[in-house]
Amino acid sequence: MNKSVAVIGGGISGITSALELANSGFRVYLIEREAAIGGQAASFCCKATEICTKCSVCLIPQKLNKVAVHSKISILTDSTVAGLSGKAGYFEVEVLRKPQYIAPERCVACGICARVCPTEPKAIRSPSPDAIPYCYVIDESRCLRLRGEKCNLCRGTCPTNGIDFDREPERKELSVSAIIVATGFEVFNAREMGSLGYSRYPNVLTGLDLERMFNRWGFLRLPSNGKEPRKVAFIQCVGSRDETRGYCSQVCCKYAMRFARLIKYQNPNTEVTIFYIDLQTAGKGFAEFYEECRGNIQFIRGVPVEILETSGELEVRFENILEGKVERETFDLVTLSVGITPRKDSWNLARVLGINLGDHGFFDTKEPFNSIETNVEGIFLAGTCQGPKDIPDSIAHGVAAAEGAMGVLEKCK
Amino acid sequence: MNVDNNKIVAFCCANSAYQAADKAGKMRLCYPDNVRIIRVPCAGRVDVVHILKAFEKGAAGVLVMGCQEGACQHLTGNTRAKERLKYAGDLLKEVGIDRERVKMVNLAPDMAQKFICEIEVMMEKIKEA
Amino acid sequence: MGIFLCDCGGSLKNIDFPKISGDLEKLEDVAFIDISHSLCLEEGEKAITSRILSENINRVVIAACSPELREHKFVRLLEGLRFNPSLLSLANIREQCSWTREGDVTEKATELIRMAMGKARLLQPVERESVSVNKEVLVLGGGFSGMKSALELSRLGIRTTIVEGKSTLGGKLKEVEGFYGLKTSPKQMLDSMITAIEKDNNIEVLTSAEVTRVRGEVGDFDITIRGGRKEFSLSFGAIIFATGYRTEILPQDFELKPGGNIISQLDLVEMLRAPEKLKRRPETIGFILDVCDENSRLPTLSSLNNALAVREKLGSEVYVFCKNLKVDSEGAEELYREARNRGVVFLKFDEPPQIYCEDGRVAIEAKDVLLGEEVVLPCDLLVAEERALPPEGTKGLSSMLNIGTDFQGFYQDENVHLYSAASARKGMFFVGGCRGNLDLRRALTDIASAVMGSYSLLALGEAVVEVEKVRVDPEKCRACLTCIRVCPHGAVQLVRLDTEKEVAQIYDLACDGCGICSALCPAKAIDFKGYADEQILAEVEAMGETNERR
Repeated sequence: MNKSVAVIGGGISGITSALELANSGFRVYLIEREAAIGGQAASFCCKATEICTKCSVCLIPQKLNKVAVHSKISILTDSTVAGLSGKAGYFEVEVLRKPQYIAPERCVACGICARVCPTEPKAIRSPSPDAIPYCYVIDESRCLRLRGEKCNLCRGTCPTNGIDFDREPERKELSVSAIIVATGFEVFNAREMGSLGYSRYPNVLTGLDLERMFNRWGFLRLPSNGKEPRKVAFIQCVGSRDETRGYCSQVCCKYAMRFARLIKYQNPNTEVTIFYIDLQTAGKGFAEFYEECRGNIQFIRGVPVEILETSGELEVRFENILEGKVERETFDLVTLSVGITPRKDSWNLARVLGINLGDHGFFDTKEPFNSIETNVEGIFLAGTCQGPKDIPDSIAHGVAAAEGAMGVLEKCK
Repeated sequence: MNVDNNKIVAFCCANSAYQAADKAGKMRLCYPDNVRIIRVPCAGRVDVVHILKAFEKGAAGVLVMGCQEGACQHLTGNTRAKERLKYAGDLLKEVGIDRERVKMVNLAPDMAQKFICEIEVMMEKIKEA
Repeated sequence: MGIFLCDCGGSLKNIDFPKISGDLEKLEDVAFIDISHSLCLEEGEKAITSRILSENINRVVIAACSPELREHKFVRLLEGLRFNPSLLSLANIREQCSWTREGDVTEKATELIRMAMGKARLLQPVERESVSVNKEVLVLGGGFSGMKSALELSRLGIRTTIVEGKSTLGGKLKEVEGFYGLKTSPKQMLDSMITAIEKDNNIEVLTSAEVTRVRGEVGDFDITIRGGRKEFSLSFGAIIFATGYRTEILPQDFELKPGGNIISQLDLVEMLRAPEKLKRRPETIGFILDVCDENSRLPTLSSLNNALAVREKLGSEVYVFCKNLKVDSEGAEELYREARNRGVVFLKFDEPPQIYCEDGRVAIEAKDVLLGEEVVLPCDLLVAEERALPPEGTKGLSSMLNIGTDFQGFYQDENVHLYSAASARKGMFFVGGCRGNLDLRRALTDIASAVMGSYSLLALGEAVVEVEKVRVDPEKCRACLTCIRVCPHGAVQLVRLDTEKEVAQIYDLACDGCGICSALCPAKAIDFKGYADEQILAEVEAMGETNERR
């Protein structure tokens, strides 16, 4: 039995598990599908007003940096798990790696390749500033060479010989004692609720859109005309606590309130309204925050079902439960607080690993109240792939999964 | 006091501001080349004597940049820095320098825009004189 | 000193490297300046290696991309070459220089390198050493969280001692009816855990005992325990606080007091354990939530669990009055729907309800938001809302140990860097109820966090520290206690020297290298290697420096 663990998924939970195990002296293979680790939360923003609101997004760059430099962690990007054999203590994991035309271990992000790339827009571009590894990426649909044409400009000018178009997909066998699945989540696709107008009306956004907007720009502007919004609405429980998804996503009330406060902090004249069913205000550090929110944010009980765009403004139709009648109110911007849903490709990994999916589509645990062990001994779950969680809970869960894996590793001694 | 050039010295905490500055560079956001960043483990490490020395050696403005209030890894580092800056401001006033030439900035590691914005604000302040 | 400049594959075109090289090599303490295209790859490694092995230098300055990306690489390279990496100084000429504008930045780059050089001249070597740590863990509290922590640690080969204030183990586990969805009853869970603990040689239990004093630091906590009339000291490497929580029923906010037909959740649980003993089956039971504490999960979860149990065992009508149901826990929404399916009626209010006694029953009067009407519900029993509070002694213990508490008084500052189970003081962890996590699932993840944290600190029996990276000079120290009070990590203790003088001493393993003590010491007695006053000042002083003005 060798003392190593495979962590599938390089989001906040996977990274946390990897760090815990590596700090205890075990080798970790961090297998990440995308070209960079960090997961969803890496594109989120700090939501502090004059003080921190405990969203914990700032912990992600901190942990990413630690993973990047850790001698015991091998980061395998552009990689997925294609097969599994063996049993706890003696797994053989088959990893399939997409051809990495730009080798992350050789790229120094000098940018010379992007300067010489002849296409417009460029087929080679710089990575997102939070990306780790910080390595340039090729857009395969735009690259002339990958579309069969003759072009070697980037390869020829790369000062570290980091580009090679002859690379093939690679298969690798990893011998590990335990596996942690930390593949994360997808946000609810707001297009599924057509009546709310997402992707039809430019000023209807999701919570995820807001995270990215603030991360990139630092402020909120109307997508339609770039102006500052004067009236903003948040609609809770979009894709949660409904017919098909009978669970609470746990993150939406908090993020909506944090954004609401942030928007008001940046412009105290903006009116903010939150439409809700049950406000989730429990959690460490949140009670005090909620009290402050009550002063300047309007809370309306009753979730709207229809949004119409009339003369540039968004008209929201909702049932004002307190008054007992249907009302209409107009806003410049409506944010749909979309929830956490399981990844649609979970079934594939479940099949490969032999683990089960639960009722809601998240990976299932062996028994209730054991949130880490799957039906297969030696395979553990970390993070939102097991069920909705916020960032602090995802981190805690990542540690818990590492602790579970430790149980297997300890038996080796 | 040698104030012939208009340098801005930014003491940046390694957990937040230094990374925000790196991010600004990665995003190729432009700012003037009179900014000198000094990396510190925590804003709370910055002492009044460091700030005064900066002014002595050609700084027209000093920024102390740390984590958001309540998010300091060392709990009180950023709040202590803020207190210290008030005292530094008092000393500057005594020697005839506008106390607003030293400023505490709180930000998170992803806030490249705020980093740039604060530098621009300080530049404006310096130009006013 | 030896200086290495990296032009990042030749891409940093707005820096005139030969000019910088020409400028700086004239300085007499510069042994050489090398320009490389990629210091982080083999080319650079070879260059650095050959220079270090052949030249007689005692400081290294590297001007390249951000230290955040590459510092560790250079540190490892230098360690491999037996060159103390604390004698390395870095200048960021890429992200914070070349990439910040289109035009020429040679002057800025030169100045940044001079600043790094100024600091390098004053750097001192820091050695790394292994110190031994005590592998045993103290668990404060013998409730579910405490017992589980001990069992998990034992599974990983770590010995623990549980110190429990009461005469038996179990805590709140003795007071809970059941966990919906779990077949094992709390009693079965409790019995099996106690049995497991009794059999486990790694776990020692001290009941009717309490901790009276804690001294020392992580790896070597000196704990004084009082049990009965005896008092003794034991040494531990880490401490896990699992002191649970207590509940308060109907605080002063309510006009009524518990008693008669206003009961607590515990009263209801006891009733449900022996329903046959009831003189008369209550026909209507009401639960009331969100009146004294709107922001806790506990009332929702315990009410849902108990409401279902009532429907099952007593068949009474159940009405739950609430403002916002806290369903942001795994399984909570499912519990809520099950309760509704089993006939539990939920009434939501915005304005707090009125509660009064009438005709021997308790009546709840509230405006239900869905009906839009006032509802008056007479109940045979009203289960009052409970507020969860930190356990007794939390305030005292937390101030004695200099560990924070949150807004509500539970352990742990509200600082995201401490989540989930850690303390700013290394080696101290908080799990479950005492840190405000009142639901079982979150308590379980807290426990795993604390267990893993303790394990990685202690399992090897030793830890690597940077020796005296931050050090109090005993000659200059006047024992004003400032550093002891301000250290957020509790890493400074007062010690008595052989000369009988009392001075502050910093524990290397507990120190997190923030430098707050160094900035505040009135006697300037604290030397922080790598960020000492002289070193930072040297960086500042290098501004405006030219070869002549040196």
